[in-house]
Amino acid sequence: MSVTTSASNVPPITGLQGEGELAGIVLDWTPVPWETVVDHYAVYGARDADDVAVEPDTLLTKTVYPHFEHRGLGGASERWVYRVVTVDAASTRSRPSDPVTVSSRESVTVSGSPLAVVGEFDGKGLELALSPAGYAQYNATFPDGVDFRYGTDDVGTGWSYLQPGPADSWAGRRDHLFRLRFELEAAPSDDVDLALWLIDSHASIPGSAVLTVNGTEVDRLVFEGGATKGSTQGDSTVPGSPLKPSYIEYPLTSGLFIAGENTLELFKDDGSWIAYDAIGVFARST
Amino acid sequence: MPSRPVPVQWEMSTDERFRRVVRRGTAVASPELAHAVHPHVDGLQPGREYFYRFKAGSEVSPVGRTKTLPARGELAESFAFATASCQAWYHGHFSAYRHMAAEELDAVFFVGDYIYEYGITDANLWRQGATVTPEHAVEIETLEQYRLRYALFKSDPHLQAVHALAPWIVTWDDHEVQNNYGADGSRYGVSPEHFVHLRAVGYRAFYENLPLSLSTLPDGPDAALYRRFDAGSLARFNILDTRQYRDAPPVDTDDQYDEQRTMLGPDQEQWLYDGLTSSPATWNVCVNGVTVTAITEDRTDQWDGYPAARQRLIGAMQQSSNPVVLTGDIHRHVAAELKADFADPSSETVGVELICSSIASDGDGAPTDGYTPDWTQHPYVKLYDGRRGYVHCRMTPEELTSQFKIVQWIRADADAPLETVARFVTPAGGPGLEKEG
Repeated sequence: MSVTTSASNVPPITGLQGEGELAGIVLDWTPVPWETVVDHYAVYGARDADDVAVEPDTLLTKTVYPHFEHRGLGGASERWVYRVVTVDAASTRSRPSDPVTVSSRESVTVSGSPLAVVGEFDGKGLELALSPAGYAQYNATFPDGVDFRYGTDDVGTGWSYLQPGPADSWAGRRDHLFRLRFELEAAPSDDVDLALWLIDSHASIPGSAVLTVNGTEVDRLVFEGGATKGSTQGDSTVPGSPLKPSYIEYPLTSGLFIAGENTLELFKDDGSWIAYDAIGVFARST
Repeated sequence: MPSRPVPVQWEMSTDERFRRVVRRGTAVASPELAHAVHPHVDGLQPGREYFYRFKAGSEVSPVGRTKTLPARGELAESFAFATASCQAWYHGHFSAYRHMAAEELDAVFFVGDYIYEYGITDANLWRQGATVTPEHAVEIETLEQYRLRYALFKSDPHLQAVHALAPWIVTWDDHEVQNNYGADGSRYGVSPEHFVHLRAVGYRAFYENLPLSLSTLPDGPDAALYRRFDAGSLARFNILDTRQYRDAPPVDTDDQYDEQRTMLGPDQEQWLYDGLTSSPATWNVCVNGVTVTAITEDRTDQWDGYPAARQRLIGAMQQSSNPVVLTGDIHRHVAAELKADFADPSSETVGVELICSSIASDGDGAPTDGYTPDWTQHPYVKLYDGRRGYVHCRMTPEELTSQFKIVQWIRADADAPLETVARFVTPAGGPGLEKEG
């Protein structure tokens, strides 16, 4: 594998490291000293390779931050190798950094079997009701929150792309309940997993929600701060998207579930909104 | 441009045809500064008009006009200027600049939001007849993207005409970096450790693209933007930076009213108060990014979020002569009287705040809108108008005359005629807004 190099006085970054996450890989590095006026860092990556050629086809992003969140990798584990090039204010490029190889984590949306799913786990919320920017119609459309019956209801009208919180004046400054109903032919013999993928959330007050299954309060799910952009943009996979997706995958004991109709509720009584990518319950593979 | 230094000759003349060139020189346009040059021209006479042009290779620039400030100690008969802000190119045509280019001005004060960082898409491209390349569709982040955004906005011929009309004295607000940022704090989830890198490229592109002296060249994420100009003894202009040093938004009411909260940072605050209280000028002006006047408690991005700092500022103004604040940010024309105690509208009027509407941000606008009651509920607010435009001011030793000018539309074309919606006189020694006509 050849790596393009160029002789210049622009220093390369050091300390490139990565961490595999659900549907993504997070890279961090030590920025060059301020003496070098940086235009951007160019991040190159290749999947399932031993090294990455620094060339236009492998350019993943240009970022001014010493940080890159490689998103939209999907639920399967992916192995990537990366290098970073410093580009200064005169467009002069450094030699590439040392490479780093990182694998993303496998999601229960891949390893498990779906019992009930709302939306596609694809980094987009566009298939959901009111997406991508219809929050002003939320109160009129969902005055009592969401009550969605899997297998019957349509995600395009039945599940709001945003779940507001009590901090949201546009949604009446009140708590909001989202309920997912689904049928099981038999109670599961093994524990199952909840997958809750968000394309974005409020940056400073994403807050939390109470998770309840069949009337049993399971836990309070705390959300990561997003970019406060998902109320008007529905696709985090667009190059340059400012959205900050986050992912919660949570084990649920088998005893919570019954044969027949089950209900899973998220009661948002804290903070501001979250923006859904998809939500689902998955059985574990035997 | 090729990625190599390019020599640029400049000439300064007392006449438009360059028969009497008084200064000339060569500056090096380097790729490190996006081939911008900022020649510093010494030895000019005070209070007079000059013309300048550039030559690079076989290219000769259009001619620009500038004017030096009146000499120290000289009480000039008058000083005329316009204020402008918030020029979201994609929201409409720069009709206001077309009219401003016909004014006789000693200076233009730009009070923030020269560019906007947002992606430009079909959803917000309201300037009819305009198209943009796909590179503009994403929110800008890298230095090359900031440079491209300045290039787009500066492609407007009416903006170019006003730059060629008079010297510009500029400050920034938030959109030169990111909406509603403060110091190293982003409202969009970028950590402070990372956000300073965005600030560094935003400040760099601002320096490259605007007429600023070398002292303003950023050092990493820091730039010394606050500075002072004296128009003889008639007026002192304190150019403020209300973004780089401010405290984070308040977390609660106690935090909001904390006596230690600062908008300007301690160094700039002391520098300003020293400049206000020791000034020999008749008029003492703060050129400022965000509204000083008390409007509502939840407008925490404005000085309403920093009430203790505002009170300190008002206190310094009380020890100054004829304080005036020039502001932008809100996309509305507002004229207000600054009160010693905003909670008591009958308290002493300390000075005036003249807020210019946007050049283009928010499209056509309307005389009133949903925000009008928030502002006009206060007896000290004397004007509110939500259309696009600029403020024209003329200072004399006796009075300050401010005219709030608007155009009725900007989305369709740049042809809207100019109207004056309000004209105020502020007598020297008698702070307040006396509406005329």
